[in-house]
Amino acid sequence: MALSTPRLLVRFLGGRNLLYGGAPFPSEQTPGDSKTRNEETDKVMSSGDSNPAATPTPCVDIQGDGRWMSLHNHFVSNSKDKEPDVLFVGDSLVQLLHQFEVWRELFSPLHALNFGVGGDETQHVLWRLSNGELAHISPKVVVLWVGTHNHSHTAEQICGGIMAIVQLIKDKLPKAYTLVLGVLPRGKMPNPLRERNAQVNKLVKDAVSSLPHASLLNVDPGFVHSDGSISHQDLYDFLHLTPQGYQAVCQPLHAHLKGLLEKQAEN
Amino acid sequence: MGDTRLISNPQRMSGDEINPAAVAQAVEDVQGDDRWMSQHTRFVQECKDAEPEVLFIGDSMVQLMQQYEIWRELFSPLHALNFGIGGDTTCNVLWRLQNGELDNIRPKVTVVWVGTNNHEHSAEQVAGGILAIAQLLTSRLPKTKVVVLGLLARGDGPNPLREKNAAVNGFLRSWLPRLGQAQFLDVGAGFVHSDGTISTRDMFDFLHLTAAGYRAIAKPLSDLLLQILDETPEEKRASLV
Repeated sequence: MALSTPRLLVRFLGGRNLLYGGAPFPSEQTPGDSKTRNEETDKVMSSGDSNPAATPTPCVDIQGDGRWMSLHNHFVSNSKDKEPDVLFVGDSLVQLLHQFEVWRELFSPLHALNFGVGGDETQHVLWRLSNGELAHISPKVVVLWVGTHNHSHTAEQICGGIMAIVQLIKDKLPKAYTLVLGVLPRGKMPNPLRERNAQVNKLVKDAVSSLPHASLLNVDPGFVHSDGSISHQDLYDFLHLTPQGYQAVCQPLHAHLKGLLEKQAEN
Repeated sequence: MGDTRLISNPQRMSGDEINPAAVAQAVEDVQGDDRWMSQHTRFVQECKDAEPEVLFIGDSMVQLMQQYEIWRELFSPLHALNFGIGGDTTCNVLWRLQNGELDNIRPKVTVVWVGTNNHEHSAEQVAGGILAIAQLLTSRLPKTKVVVLGLLARGDGPNPLREKNAAVNGFLRSWLPRLGQAQFLDVGAGFVHSDGTISTRDMFDFLHLTAAGYRAIAKPLSDLLLQILDETPEEKRASLV
Protein backbone atom coordinates (compact mmCIF):
# COMPACT_ATOMS: atom_id res chain seq x y z
CA MET A 1 0.00 0.00 0.00
CA ALA A 2 1.32 3.35 -0.95
CA LEU A 3 -0.23 5.66 1.62
CA SER A 4 -1.43 3.24 4.25
CA THR A 5 1.30 0.77 4.81
CA PRO A 6 0.03 -2.46 6.34
CA ARG A 7 1.50 -3.18 9.73
CA LEU A 8 1.17 -6.92 9.29
CA LEU A 9 3.90 -8.10 11.62
CA VAL A 10 2.64 -6.18 14.61
CA ARG A 11 -0.86 -7.43 13.93
CA PHE A 12 0.30 -11.06 13.74
CA LEU A 13 1.79 -10.67 17.18
CA GLY A 14 -1.61 -9.58 18.42
CA GLY A 15 -0.27 -6.11 19.01
CA ARG A 16 2.11 -7.29 21.71
CA ASN A 17 5.43 -5.68 21.16
CA LEU A 18 7.43 -8.78 21.90
CA LEU A 19 10.27 -7.43 19.83
CA TYR A 20 10.38 -3.88 21.02
CA GLY A 21 10.20 -3.85 24.78
CA GLY A 22 7.29 -3.57 27.14
CA ALA A 23 6.13 -6.48 29.29
CA PRO A 24 5.38 -9.37 26.93
CA PHE A 25 3.16 -11.21 29.35
CA PRO A 26 0.20 -9.66 31.15
CA SER A 27 1.17 -11.36 34.42
CA GLU A 28 4.35 -9.32 34.55
CA GLN A 29 2.45 -6.13 34.96
CA THR A 30 1.88 -5.34 38.63
CA PRO A 31 -1.22 -3.51 39.75
CA GLY A 32 -0.60 0.17 40.07
CA ASP A 33 1.97 0.03 37.27
CA SER A 34 0.05 2.35 35.04
CA LYS A 35 -0.53 6.01 35.68
CA THR A 36 -3.09 7.45 38.10
CA ARG A 37 -6.04 5.18 37.67
CA ASN A 38 -9.68 5.89 38.00
CA GLU A 39 -12.74 4.33 36.51
CA GLU A 40 -12.52 6.43 33.39
CA THR A 41 -8.93 5.41 32.70
CA ASP A 42 -9.69 1.74 33.26
CA LYS A 43 -12.59 1.97 30.87
CA VAL A 44 -10.46 3.46 28.12
CA MET A 45 -7.56 1.08 28.69
CA SER A 46 -4.68 3.49 28.66
CA SER A 47 -2.45 1.18 30.70
CA GLY A 48 0.25 0.10 28.30
CA ASP A 49 0.43 -3.63 28.08
CA SER A 50 -3.22 -4.58 28.05
CA ASN A 51 -3.85 -2.20 25.16
CA PRO A 52 -1.76 -2.70 22.03
CA ALA A 53 -2.91 0.69 20.73
CA ALA A 54 -1.26 2.29 23.76
CA THR A 55 1.99 0.31 23.70
CA PRO A 56 4.82 2.21 21.97
CA THR A 57 5.64 0.22 18.84
CA PRO A 58 7.88 1.17 15.93
CA CYS A 59 7.02 0.09 12.41
CA VAL A 60 8.79 -2.95 11.07
CA ASP A 61 10.19 -2.42 7.58
CA ILE A 62 8.43 -5.06 5.55
CA GLN A 63 8.75 -3.35 2.19
CA GLY A 64 12.55 -3.07 2.15
CA ASP A 65 13.40 0.63 1.99
CA GLY A 66 13.25 1.55 5.68
CA ARG A 67 11.19 4.65 5.02
CA TRP A 68 9.40 4.78 8.35
CA MET A 69 12.60 4.85 10.36
CA SER A 70 14.17 7.29 7.88
CA LEU A 71 11.28 9.67 8.40
CA HIS A 72 11.49 9.33 12.17
CA ASN A 73 15.23 10.05 12.12
CA HIS A 74 14.61 12.97 9.77
CA PHE A 75 12.09 14.43 12.22
CA VAL A 76 14.45 14.02 15.16
CA SER A 77 17.38 15.69 13.45
CA ASN A 78 15.15 18.29 11.82
CA SER A 79 13.92 19.37 15.23
CA LYS A 80 17.38 20.16 16.55
CA ASP A 81 17.58 23.65 15.12
CA LYS A 82 13.93 24.54 15.10
CA GLU A 83 11.84 26.34 17.69
CA PRO A 84 8.27 25.60 16.74
CA ASP A 85 5.36 27.06 18.65
CA VAL A 86 3.08 24.38 17.25
CA LEU A 87 3.80 20.73 16.51
CA PHE A 88 1.45 18.71 14.32
CA VAL A 89 1.83 14.99 14.85
CA GLY A 90 -0.10 12.01 13.53
CA ASP A 91 -0.80 10.01 10.39
CA SER A 92 -1.24 10.69 6.67
CA LEU A 93 -3.88 13.33 7.31
CA VAL A 94 -1.20 15.36 9.10
CA GLN A 95 1.52 14.46 6.62
CA LEU A 96 -0.43 15.41 3.51
CA LEU A 97 -1.46 18.73 5.07
CA HIS A 98 2.17 19.76 4.86
CA GLN A 99 2.18 19.34 1.07
CA PHE A 100 -0.55 21.78 0.20
CA GLU A 101 -0.69 25.55 0.00
CA VAL A 102 -2.93 25.70 3.08
CA TRP A 103 0.09 24.83 5.26
CA ARG A 104 2.11 27.78 4.04
CA GLU A 105 -0.93 30.03 4.28
CA LEU A 106 -2.18 29.15 7.73
CA PHE A 107 0.37 27.19 9.74
CA SER A 108 3.85 28.30 8.68
CA PRO A 109 3.07 31.75 10.08
CA LEU A 110 2.35 30.08 13.43
CA HIS A 111 5.84 28.50 13.38
CA ALA A 112 4.56 24.99 13.03
CA LEU A 113 6.42 21.72 12.48
CA ASN A 114 4.86 18.68 10.85
CA PHE A 115 5.66 15.16 12.10
CA GLY A 116 2.97 13.25 10.23
CA VAL A 117 3.67 9.75 8.89
CA GLY A 118 1.27 8.02 6.51
CA GLY A 119 -0.30 4.88 7.90
CA ASP A 120 0.68 5.54 11.49
CA GLU A 121 -1.51 4.16 14.24
CA THR A 122 -1.59 5.45 17.81
CA GLN A 123 1.12 3.05 19.01
CA HIS A 124 3.49 4.22 16.25
CA VAL A 125 3.04 7.88 17.13
CA LEU A 126 3.55 6.96 20.78
CA TRP A 127 6.85 5.28 19.92
CA ARG A 128 8.07 8.21 17.80
CA LEU A 129 7.31 10.74 20.51
CA SER A 130 8.97 8.52 23.12
CA ASN A 131 12.10 8.15 21.02
CA GLY A 132 13.38 11.60 20.22
CA GLU A 133 10.76 13.58 18.35
CA LEU A 134 10.04 15.71 21.42
CA ALA A 135 13.58 15.81 22.72
CA HIS A 136 14.74 19.08 21.19
CA ILE A 137 11.64 21.23 20.99
CA SER A 138 9.18 22.93 23.31
CA PRO A 139 6.08 23.76 21.31
CA LYS A 140 3.29 25.58 23.10
CA VAL A 141 0.63 23.50 21.38
CA VAL A 142 0.73 19.96 20.05
CA VAL A 143 -1.94 19.13 17.49
CA LEU A 144 -2.58 15.38 17.53
CA TRP A 145 -4.48 13.70 14.71
CA VAL A 146 -4.35 9.90 14.67
CA GLY A 147 -6.54 6.83 15.08
CA THR A 148 -8.18 6.19 11.74
CA HIS A 149 -5.60 3.57 10.73
CA ASN A 150 -5.91 1.47 13.91
CA HIS A 151 -7.72 -1.31 12.06
CA SER A 152 -7.21 -4.13 14.49
CA HIS A 153 -8.28 -2.15 17.55
CA THR A 154 -11.60 -1.30 19.13
CA ALA A 155 -12.78 2.26 19.67
CA GLU A 156 -11.92 1.88 23.37
CA GLN A 157 -8.40 0.74 22.58
CA ILE A 158 -7.88 3.55 20.09
CA CYS A 159 -9.08 6.08 22.67
CA GLY A 160 -6.65 4.53 25.12
CA GLY A 161 -3.88 4.95 22.59
CA ILE A 162 -4.73 8.61 22.04
CA MET A 163 -4.88 9.23 25.80
CA ALA A 164 -1.51 7.54 26.23
CA ILE A 165 -0.08 10.02 23.74
CA VAL A 166 -1.74 12.92 25.58
CA GLN A 167 -0.17 11.71 28.83
CA LEU A 168 3.25 11.29 27.23
CA ILE A 169 3.16 14.83 25.87
CA LYS A 170 2.24 16.09 29.35
CA ASP A 171 5.19 14.21 30.81
CA LYS A 172 7.70 15.48 28.28
CA LEU A 173 6.32 18.97 27.72
CA PRO A 174 4.64 20.00 30.98
CA LYS A 175 3.70 23.44 29.68
CA ALA A 176 2.28 22.34 26.34
CA TYR A 177 -1.39 22.16 25.43
CA THR A 178 -2.54 19.16 23.42
CA LEU A 179 -5.29 19.69 20.89
CA VAL A 180 -6.67 16.35 19.75
CA LEU A 181 -8.47 16.54 16.41
CA GLY A 182 -11.52 14.36 15.97
CA VAL A 183 -11.11 11.46 13.59
CA LEU A 184 -12.97 12.16 10.36
CA PRO A 185 -15.69 10.02 8.82
CA ARG A 186 -14.52 7.85 5.91
CA GLY A 187 -15.85 5.71 3.09
CA LYS A 188 -18.28 6.80 0.43
CA MET A 189 -21.38 5.57 2.28
CA PRO A 190 -22.17 4.71 5.94
CA ASN A 191 -19.98 1.87 7.20
CA PRO A 192 -18.61 0.39 10.47
CA LEU A 193 -15.46 2.52 10.36
CA ARG A 194 -17.52 5.70 10.51
CA GLU A 195 -19.21 4.38 13.62
CA ARG A 196 -15.91 3.36 15.13
CA ASN A 197 -14.35 6.77 14.47
CA ALA A 198 -17.37 8.58 15.91
CA GLN A 199 -17.16 6.40 19.02
CA VAL A 200 -13.43 7.16 19.36
CA ASN A 201 -14.21 10.87 19.26
CA LYS A 202 -16.91 10.52 21.89
CA LEU A 203 -14.68 8.51 24.23
CA VAL A 204 -11.74 10.89 23.83
CA LYS A 205 -13.94 13.92 24.38
CA ASP A 206 -15.12 12.40 27.66
CA ALA A 207 -11.61 11.43 28.70
CA VAL A 208 -10.09 14.89 28.13
CA SER A 209 -13.00 16.78 29.64
CA SER A 210 -11.37 16.76 33.06
CA LEU A 211 -7.91 17.72 31.80
CA PRO A 212 -6.77 21.35 31.83
CA HIS A 213 -3.99 20.69 29.30
CA ALA A 214 -5.93 18.96 26.53
CA SER A 215 -9.15 19.08 24.57
CA LEU A 216 -10.80 17.50 21.53
CA LEU A 217 -11.70 19.65 18.55
CA ASN A 218 -14.22 18.34 16.04
CA VAL A 219 -12.88 19.45 12.65
CA ASP A 220 -15.52 17.78 10.49
CA PRO A 221 -17.23 20.68 8.72
CA GLY A 222 -20.05 18.38 7.62
CA PHE A 223 -18.45 16.11 5.06
CA VAL A 224 -21.31 13.61 5.23
CA HIS A 225 -24.22 14.73 3.08
CA SER A 226 -27.88 14.15 3.88
CA ASP A 227 -27.90 10.94 1.84
CA GLY A 228 -25.00 9.61 3.90
CA SER A 229 -22.45 10.03 1.14
CA ILE A 230 -19.05 11.68 1.23
CA SER A 231 -17.84 13.48 -1.87
CA HIS A 232 -14.53 12.76 -3.60
CA GLN A 233 -14.19 16.54 -3.92
CA ASP A 234 -13.59 16.63 -0.16
CA LEU A 235 -11.96 13.23 0.44
CA TYR A 236 -10.45 12.17 -2.88
CA ASP A 237 -10.31 8.49 -1.95
CA PHE A 238 -12.99 8.75 0.74
CA LEU A 239 -10.25 8.92 3.40
CA HIS A 240 -7.66 11.56 2.50
CA LEU A 241 -8.48 15.25 2.15
CA THR A 242 -8.30 17.24 -1.06
CA PRO A 243 -6.92 20.80 -0.85
CA GLN A 244 -10.57 21.94 -0.73
CA GLY A 245 -11.26 19.51 2.10
CA TYR A 246 -8.24 20.80 4.00
CA GLN A 247 -9.41 24.40 3.62
CA ALA A 248 -12.75 23.48 5.20
CA VAL A 249 -11.01 21.70 8.08
CA CYS A 250 -8.16 24.14 8.58
CA GLN A 251 -9.86 27.52 8.63
CA PRO A 252 -11.64 26.81 11.95
CA LEU A 253 -8.61 24.88 13.22
CA HIS A 254 -6.38 27.84 12.52
CA ALA A 255 -8.70 30.22 14.34
CA HIS A 256 -8.84 27.86 17.31
CA LEU A 257 -5.07 27.48 17.36
CA LYS A 258 -4.51 31.21 17.33
CA GLY A 259 -6.83 31.50 20.30
CA LEU A 260 -4.90 28.80 22.17
CA LEU A 261 -1.54 30.39 21.43
CA GLU A 262 -2.76 33.76 22.64
CA LYS A 263 -3.99 32.16 25.88
CA GLN A 264 -0.64 30.36 26.32
CA ALA A 265 1.17 33.66 25.82
CA GLU A 266 -0.91 35.26 28.57
CA ASN A 267 -0.05 32.52 31.10
CA MET B 1 17.32 -9.14 -21.44
CA GLY B 2 15.08 -11.30 -19.29
CA ASP B 3 12.75 -13.90 -20.71
CA THR B 4 11.91 -12.70 -24.21
CA ARG B 5 8.91 -14.99 -24.33
CA LEU B 6 7.34 -12.57 -21.87
CA ILE B 7 7.11 -9.99 -24.61
CA SER B 8 4.61 -12.00 -26.57
CA ASN B 9 2.93 -13.44 -23.52
CA PRO B 10 3.63 -11.49 -20.32
CA GLN B 11 1.10 -13.63 -18.48
CA ARG B 12 3.58 -16.49 -18.54
CA MET B 13 7.02 -16.67 -17.01
CA SER B 14 9.66 -19.04 -18.30
CA GLY B 15 8.57 -22.67 -18.08
CA ASP B 16 4.97 -21.69 -18.67
CA GLU B 17 4.35 -20.55 -15.08
CA ILE B 18 1.71 -17.88 -14.84
CA ASN B 19 3.07 -14.42 -14.10
CA PRO B 20 1.25 -13.45 -10.91
CA ALA B 21 1.83 -9.77 -11.64
CA ALA B 22 -0.22 -10.14 -14.82
CA VAL B 23 -3.23 -11.74 -13.15
CA ALA B 24 -6.15 -9.33 -12.81
CA GLN B 25 -7.22 -8.97 -9.20
CA ALA B 26 -9.58 -6.66 -7.37
CA VAL B 27 -8.63 -5.30 -3.94
CA GLU B 28 -10.52 -6.97 -1.14
CA ASP B 29 -12.16 -4.71 1.42
CA VAL B 30 -10.40 -5.72 4.62
CA GLN B 31 -10.66 -2.36 6.36
CA GLY B 32 -14.45 -2.17 6.23
CA ASP B 33 -15.32 0.97 4.27
CA ASP B 34 -15.09 -0.42 0.74
CA ARG B 35 -13.12 2.52 -0.55
CA TRP B 36 -11.33 0.75 -3.39
CA MET B 37 -14.55 -0.39 -4.99
CA SER B 38 -16.13 3.05 -4.44
CA GLN B 39 -13.25 4.65 -6.31
CA HIS B 40 -13.46 2.09 -9.14
CA THR B 41 -17.22 2.63 -9.43
CA ARG B 42 -16.72 6.38 -9.63
CA PHE B 43 -14.19 5.94 -12.46
CA VAL B 44 -16.57 3.68 -14.40
CA GLN B 45 -19.24 6.37 -14.03
CA GLU B 46 -16.78 9.01 -15.24
CA CYS B 47 -16.27 6.97 -18.41
CA LYS B 48 -19.95 7.39 -19.18
CA ASP B 49 -19.85 11.17 -18.90
CA ALA B 50 -16.40 12.20 -20.06
CA GLU B 51 -14.57 12.30 -23.38
CA PRO B 52 -10.93 12.33 -22.33
CA GLU B 53 -8.09 12.75 -24.76
CA VAL B 54 -5.64 11.52 -22.15
CA LEU B 55 -6.16 8.81 -19.54
CA PHE B 56 -3.84 8.43 -16.56
CA ILE B 57 -4.01 5.06 -14.80
CA GLY B 58 -1.98 3.64 -11.94
CA ASP B 59 -1.30 3.87 -8.24
CA SER B 60 -0.90 6.72 -5.73
CA MET B 61 1.79 8.33 -7.89
CA VAL B 62 -0.98 8.97 -10.42
CA GLN B 63 -3.70 9.67 -7.87
CA LEU B 64 -1.83 12.24 -5.84
CA MET B 65 -0.85 14.24 -8.91
CA GLN B 66 -4.43 15.36 -9.33
CA GLN B 67 -4.40 16.99 -5.90
CA TYR B 68 -1.62 19.40 -6.81
CA GLU B 69 -1.89 22.63 -8.78
CA ILE B 70 0.26 21.13 -11.57
CA TRP B 71 -2.64 18.94 -12.67
CA ARG B 72 -4.91 21.90 -13.30
CA GLU B 73 -2.06 23.76 -15.01
CA LEU B 74 -0.73 21.11 -17.36
CA PHE B 75 -3.11 18.17 -17.64
CA SER B 76 -6.67 19.38 -17.22
CA PRO B 77 -6.24 21.49 -20.38
CA LEU B 78 -5.42 18.28 -22.24
CA HIS B 79 -8.79 16.83 -21.17
CA ALA B 80 -7.16 14.25 -18.96
CA LEU B 81 -8.88 11.76 -16.67
CA ASN B 82 -7.13 10.45 -13.57
CA PHE B 83 -7.83 6.84 -12.60
CA GLY B 84 -5.12 6.43 -9.99
CA ILE B 85 -5.77 4.48 -6.77
CA GLY B 86 -3.30 4.47 -3.88
CA GLY B 87 -1.75 1.11 -3.16
CA ASP B 88 -2.62 -0.45 -6.49
CA THR B 89 -0.43 -3.13 -8.03
CA THR B 90 -0.32 -4.15 -11.71
CA CYS B 91 -2.92 -6.82 -10.87
CA ASN B 92 -5.37 -4.25 -9.54
CA VAL B 93 -4.95 -1.94 -12.53
CA LEU B 94 -5.49 -4.87 -14.89
CA TRP B 95 -8.73 -5.76 -13.10
CA ARG B 96 -10.01 -2.19 -13.26
CA LEU B 97 -9.26 -1.87 -16.95
CA GLN B 98 -11.02 -5.16 -17.63
CA ASN B 99 -14.05 -4.18 -15.56
CA GLY B 100 -15.32 -0.93 -16.96
CA GLU B 101 -12.64 1.72 -16.74
CA LEU B 102 -12.13 1.65 -20.50
CA ASP B 103 -15.76 1.52 -21.48
CA ASN B 104 -17.10 4.31 -23.71
CA ILE B 105 -13.90 6.31 -23.83
CA ARG B 106 -11.37 6.72 -26.61
CA PRO B 107 -8.35 8.57 -25.22
CA LYS B 108 -5.61 9.33 -27.71
CA VAL B 109 -2.96 8.68 -25.09
CA THR B 110 -2.90 6.54 -21.98
CA VAL B 111 -0.28 7.17 -19.33
CA VAL B 112 0.51 4.13 -17.19
CA TRP B 113 2.36 4.49 -13.88
CA VAL B 114 2.26 1.44 -11.63
CA GLY B 115 4.58 -1.22 -10.22
CA THR B 116 6.20 0.26 -7.12
CA ASN B 117 3.63 -1.46 -4.86
CA ASN B 118 4.13 -4.96 -6.34
CA HIS B 119 5.99 -6.16 -3.24
CA GLU B 120 5.30 -9.87 -3.77
CA HIS B 121 6.71 -9.95 -7.29
CA SER B 122 10.17 -9.96 -8.87
CA ALA B 123 11.33 -7.14 -11.13
CA GLU B 124 10.78 -9.31 -14.18
CA GLN B 125 7.26 -10.21 -13.07
CA VAL B 126 6.41 -6.58 -12.40
CA ALA B 127 7.67 -5.55 -15.84
CA GLY B 128 5.60 -8.38 -17.30
CA GLY B 129 2.55 -7.07 -15.48
CA ILE B 130 3.09 -3.57 -16.85
CA LEU B 131 3.56 -5.01 -20.31
CA ALA B 132 0.28 -6.90 -19.95
CA ILE B 133 -1.42 -3.59 -19.11
CA ALA B 134 0.10 -1.94 -22.20
CA GLN B 135 -1.03 -4.85 -24.36
CA LEU B 136 -4.54 -4.72 -22.94
CA LEU B 137 -4.73 -1.00 -23.71
CA THR B 138 -3.56 -1.35 -27.28
CA SER B 139 -5.92 -4.22 -27.94
CA ARG B 140 -8.97 -2.45 -26.39
CA LEU B 141 -8.09 0.97 -27.84
CA PRO B 142 -6.33 0.29 -31.13
CA LYS B 143 -5.71 3.96 -31.86
CA THR B 144 -4.30 4.86 -28.46
CA LYS B 145 -0.67 5.55 -27.77
CA VAL B 146 0.62 4.20 -24.49
CA VAL B 147 3.21 6.02 -22.41
CA VAL B 148 4.66 3.97 -19.56
CA LEU B 149 6.41 6.00 -16.89
CA GLY B 150 9.47 4.49 -15.29
CA LEU B 151 9.34 3.60 -11.63
CA LEU B 152 11.04 6.16 -9.43
CA ALA B 153 13.76 5.49 -6.91
CA ARG B 154 12.51 5.35 -3.32
CA GLY B 155 13.84 5.33 0.22
CA ASP B 156 16.22 7.71 1.94
CA GLY B 157 19.41 5.94 0.81
CA PRO B 158 20.34 3.00 -1.45
CA ASN B 159 18.17 -0.05 -0.79
CA PRO B 160 16.89 -3.20 -2.56
CA LEU B 161 13.68 -1.53 -3.76
CA ARG B 162 15.68 1.03 -5.72
CA GLU B 163 17.54 -1.77 -7.44
CA LYS B 164 14.31 -3.58 -8.12
CA ASN B 165 12.58 -0.54 -9.59
CA ALA B 166 15.62 0.17 -11.76
CA ALA B 167 15.54 -3.43 -12.98
CA VAL B 168 11.84 -3.10 -13.86
CA ASN B 169 12.68 0.00 -15.87
CA GLY B 170 15.46 -1.89 -17.63
CA PHE B 171 13.09 -4.62 -18.79
CA LEU B 172 10.51 -2.06 -19.91
CA ARG B 173 13.08 -0.09 -21.89
CA SER B 174 13.83 -3.09 -24.06
CA TRP B 175 10.37 -4.67 -24.20
CA LEU B 176 8.04 -1.70 -24.77
CA PRO B 177 9.37 -0.47 -28.11
CA ARG B 178 8.47 -3.84 -29.61
CA LEU B 179 4.86 -3.13 -28.82
CA GLY B 180 4.63 -0.48 -31.52
CA GLN B 181 2.22 1.94 -29.94
CA ALA B 182 3.88 1.95 -26.54
CA GLN B 183 6.87 3.88 -25.30
CA PHE B 184 8.82 4.19 -22.09
CA LEU B 185 9.48 7.55 -20.44
CA ASP B 186 12.00 7.83 -17.63
CA VAL B 187 11.08 10.76 -15.40
CA GLY B 188 13.33 9.79 -12.50
CA ALA B 189 16.48 11.71 -13.40
CA GLY B 190 17.73 14.03 -10.69
CA PHE B 191 15.93 12.62 -7.68
CA VAL B 192 18.88 10.66 -6.33
CA HIS B 193 21.69 12.97 -5.29
CA SER B 194 25.38 12.22 -5.66
CA ASP B 195 25.52 10.96 -2.06
CA GLY B 196 22.74 8.47 -2.80
CA THR B 197 20.09 10.30 -0.84
CA ILE B 198 16.64 11.48 -1.87
CA SER B 199 15.42 14.74 -0.43
CA THR B 200 12.08 15.17 1.35
CA ARG B 201 11.76 18.32 -0.75
CA ASP B 202 11.11 16.00 -3.71
CA MET B 203 9.53 13.00 -1.98
CA PHE B 204 7.95 13.91 1.35
CA ASP B 205 8.10 10.33 2.63
CA PHE B 206 10.88 9.09 0.33
CA LEU B 207 8.19 7.61 -1.95
CA HIS B 208 5.45 10.12 -2.75
CA LEU B 209 6.19 13.33 -4.62
CA THR B 210 5.85 16.83 -3.28
CA ALA B 211 4.54 19.67 -5.42
CA ALA B 212 8.15 20.37 -6.44
CA GLY B 213 8.72 16.72 -7.25
CA TYR B 214 5.65 16.61 -9.48
CA ARG B 215 6.69 19.83 -11.18
CA ALA B 216 9.96 18.19 -12.15
CA ILE B 217 8.32 15.17 -13.76
CA ALA B 218 5.33 16.93 -15.22
CA LYS B 219 7.31 19.04 -17.66
CA PRO B 220 8.89 16.21 -19.73
CA LEU B 221 5.62 14.27 -19.52
CA SER B 222 3.42 17.11 -20.71
CA ASP B 223 5.90 17.91 -23.49
CA LEU B 224 5.64 14.33 -24.71
CA LEU B 225 1.85 14.32 -24.43
CA LEU B 226 1.57 17.54 -26.40
CA GLN B 227 3.83 16.08 -29.05
CA ILE B 228 1.76 12.91 -29.33
CA LEU B 229 -1.55 14.78 -29.35
CA ASP B 230 -0.17 17.07 -32.03
CA GLU B 231 0.83 14.14 -34.20
CA THR B 232 -2.43 12.27 -33.76
CA PRO B 233 -4.85 13.17 -36.52
CA GLU B 234 -8.30 14.21 -35.40
CA GLU B 235 -10.75 11.49 -36.32
CA LYS B 236 -13.05 13.80 -38.18
CA ARG B 237 -10.18 15.23 -40.16
CA ALA B 238 -9.09 11.75 -41.16
CA SER B 239 -12.57 10.82 -42.36
CA LEU B 240 -12.70 13.83 -44.67
CA VAL B 241 -9.64 12.69 -46.60
